[in-house]
Amino acid sequence: MSGYYIKRIISSLITLFIITTLIFLMMHSIPGGPFTRERPVPDEILQALNEKYNLDAPLYEQYLDYLKGLVTFDLGPSYSKIGTTVNELLISGFPPSAIIGGFASLLIVVVGMPLGIISALKQNKPVDYLVMFMATVGVTIPSFVMATLIIYFFAGQLGWLPTFGNASPLGYIGPILALSGYSLSFVSRLTRSSMLEVLRQDYVRTARANGIREYKVIAKHAVKNALIPVVTYLGPMIAAIMTGSFVIEKIFAIPGMGRYYVESVTNRDYTVLMGMTIFYAAFYIIMVLLVDVAYGFIDPRIRLGKEN
Amino acid sequence: MADNRFQFVENSYLDDEISRPSLTYWQDAWRRLKKNKLAMLGVIAIIMIVFFGVVGPSLTDYTYSDQVNEFKNLPPTLEVFDVGDDVNLYLSSDYNMFIVNDKGKMVERLEIDKTKKDLINKIYVYKYGTEENYKEVVLDFSYNLLKTKMGYDYDYSIEYDGTLYTEFTSKKMNKTFPFGTDDLGRDILTRVMYGTRISLTIAFVATMVNLFIGIIYGSVSGFEGGRVDEFMMRIVDIINSIPLVLYVILIMVWFRGNDGLFNIIIALSTVYWVSMARLVRGQMLSLKEQEFVLAARVIGVPKKKIIFRHLIPNAMGPIIVSMTMMIPSAVFTEAFLSFIGLGVSAPQASLGTLSSNALSGLLTYPYQLFFPAMTIAIIMLAFNFLGDGLRDALDPRLRKG
Repeated sequence: MSGYYIKRIISSLITLFIITTLIFLMMHSIPGGPFTRERPVPDEILQALNEKYNLDAPLYEQYLDYLKGLVTFDLGPSYSKIGTTVNELLISGFPPSAIIGGFASLLIVVVGMPLGIISALKQNKPVDYLVMFMATVGVTIPSFVMATLIIYFFAGQLGWLPTFGNASPLGYIGPILALSGYSLSFVSRLTRSSMLEVLRQDYVRTARANGIREYKVIAKHAVKNALIPVVTYLGPMIAAIMTGSFVIEKIFAIPGMGRYYVESVTNRDYTVLMGMTIFYAAFYIIMVLLVDVAYGFIDPRIRLGKEN
Repeated sequence: MADNRFQFVENSYLDDEISRPSLTYWQDAWRRLKKNKLAMLGVIAIIMIVFFGVVGPSLTDYTYSDQVNEFKNLPPTLEVFDVGDDVNLYLSSDYNMFIVNDKGKMVERLEIDKTKKDLINKIYVYKYGTEENYKEVVLDFSYNLLKTKMGYDYDYSIEYDGTLYTEFTSKKMNKTFPFGTDDLGRDILTRVMYGTRISLTIAFVATMVNLFIGIIYGSVSGFEGGRVDEFMMRIVDIINSIPLVLYVILIMVWFRGNDGLFNIIIALSTVYWVSMARLVRGQMLSLKEQEFVLAARVIGVPKKKIIFRHLIPNAMGPIIVSMTMMIPSAVFTEAFLSFIGLGVSAPQASLGTLSSNALSGLLTYPYQLFFPAMTIAIIMLAFNFLGDGLRDALDPRLRKG
C-alpha cells in the first residue's frame, strides 16, 4: 500500500521536474530578453540589468541557478515589479484566491452533489426537472457573463454587494457565486447520471431485496459508488479554482493569483509567469495524487498496489 | 370426429409473422435520436446558428468593421417622442438627439447649436431641418439634478414646435440596427453574426484537429499498453498541467505576425486533444481484450489494420459524443481567451471579444453584452442537447426492441 504511494509521489516529482524544465526552456526560447521594450533601453543599463539578474550567464548555468532556487522555495525576483520577489507575489496573491476557490469548492461539494443525488432519486419528477434545468442553464452560461450579471443585478440594481474588491467580506460573495456556477452545475449533472447508473446495478437491488432500509441502501451502497467519477472531476477542478480564476478576478478586481498571472502576461514578466505556472502545476499534481488516495477510501476495489 | 368440423388454416395467416427490418447500429441510433425531442431541437438550433453565422453577415447592410459615427450606442428598442409628420425624436442616455421615422428607421442625429448651448441652466438646443424649414428642439435636463427636492417626476423635458414633452410616447423597434450599435457605431447584429462565424470556425477546426491527434495518440497508447502507454500518458499529464494561457502566450510570441484567429486554433489544437486521447485510450483498453481482436490477431492482421478497421469503429460512439461536447467547450475557451485579451485581434470579433468589449459600458448599455452572451448560451445549449441525445442513442445498453 505505502509502496504504491511512494512510487506515485516519486513519479509526481519527476513530472514536476520535467514541467519545470519545459517551462524554463519555453520562457527562454522567447525572442528578446525580459527588458526588451518598444523604446530600446540604453546598452549600459541593459548590461547592468543583465548582470544584476545573471542573465548573461550561459543557459545551463541559469537553469541550475533556477533549480537551486526552486529547491529552497525561492522563485527569484520579479522583472517588472522592481523590488518584489515572486514569492511575495504568491504569498499576497494566493490567500484571496484560495478563500474564493475554497468556498466555491465547498459550495460545489455541499450543494452540487446533494442536488445531483436528489434529482437522481426523484428521476422524472418535477424536482429532477427543476434541478436539471438549472444545471443545464448553469453549464451554458460562461463564467464572465455570470460574473457581469451578478454585478449588474446585485451590485448595480439592488446595491446589496460591492461592485469590486475584497475590502469587505461581502465582496467575496460575488466571485464565489460566479466561480462555482459552472462547476456546480456540472457536478450535479455528473452526480445524477452516475447515481442513476449505480441505482440500476444488481447489488442495489440485492440490498433492497435483503430488506435494508432505503436510506442505508442509498447512503452506503449507492452514493459511495456513484461518487467515483465525481471525485475524479473534483480533484483537478479544485486545483484550478483554488489557484485563481483569471476572468473572475479581473472582473471583480480581486488582487489574487489569477490577476497577477494576467498582469505578468501583459507585462511579459517571465519569472512571475514561470513561478506561478510551476506553483499551479505542483498544486495540480498534488490534487491528482489526493484524488488517487481518495479512491482507495471510497472504493475498496481500487486499493491500488495490492495487485502487485 | 367429422372432418368438416375442422378448418384449414389459410396460408396468409401463416405468412403474417411479426418481423421488422433489421437495423444496423447507426440506423438504430439515428432512429432513437429522431425520437428525442430535445436532441432534434439541438440539431435544428445548430443548423440555424451555422446559417446565422455563415450566410448572415452578407445579408445585412453593414460589415463587421463599418463604423457609422453618427449612430453610436443605439439600443435595439427606442423610447421615442412622437411629434407627428413621420418624425420621432429619440434621446439617448448621453444626450444625443436622433430623428427616427414611424417605421423605426434611423434618419439622422441632430447637431447641437453650439451658440445656444447653456450648460449652467442645463439646456441643449438641437438644430433640425433645412434652412427654409428650420426647427429647434430644446432639451432641458435640469430636472434630474434635484429631482426629489423640486418635486418633478421626470428627468428632462423636450420642447419641439411649441409643445413640451416630458414622457416618451411610444417604444419602437430599431429597424436600422435590430441589435443596436456599439460604442464605435458598428452594427451589433452584423458583429454577432460575424463573431459566431469566427467562434464556430475556431471550434470546428480545433475539434477536427483534436479528433485526429486524439484518436491516433489514444489508440496507439491504449493498444500498445505497458511501457509505451505509461510514457505516453505521462506526456499527456505534463501537457495537461500547464495552463492553457501559457501556451497561447508562447504561441503568440513564436508566431508573431499571424492574426489571433490562427494562434487560438493552434493553441486549442495543441492542448485539447489530451482529453480525447484519454477517452480513446480507455476505450482501447477494454476493446482490445475482446475476442474479435484476438481473432484478428490470430489470422495475422497487422496492428495498424486492427486499430483502424476493428478498434476505432467500435469506439466511435463515445468519440462522437465527446466531439459534440468538445465544440461548445472550444467556443467557451475561445471566449475566455478573447476575454482576457489573448483572442482575435480587432477589428475582427469573436463572441468572446464582443462580450468583453461590452463589459465597460455594462450598466448603461446592457444590450451590448446581452446579444453575444445569448448567442454563446444558445450554442452551448444546442450542442449539449445534441450531445446528451447522442449519448443516449449510441449507448448499446439502452438499445431495446
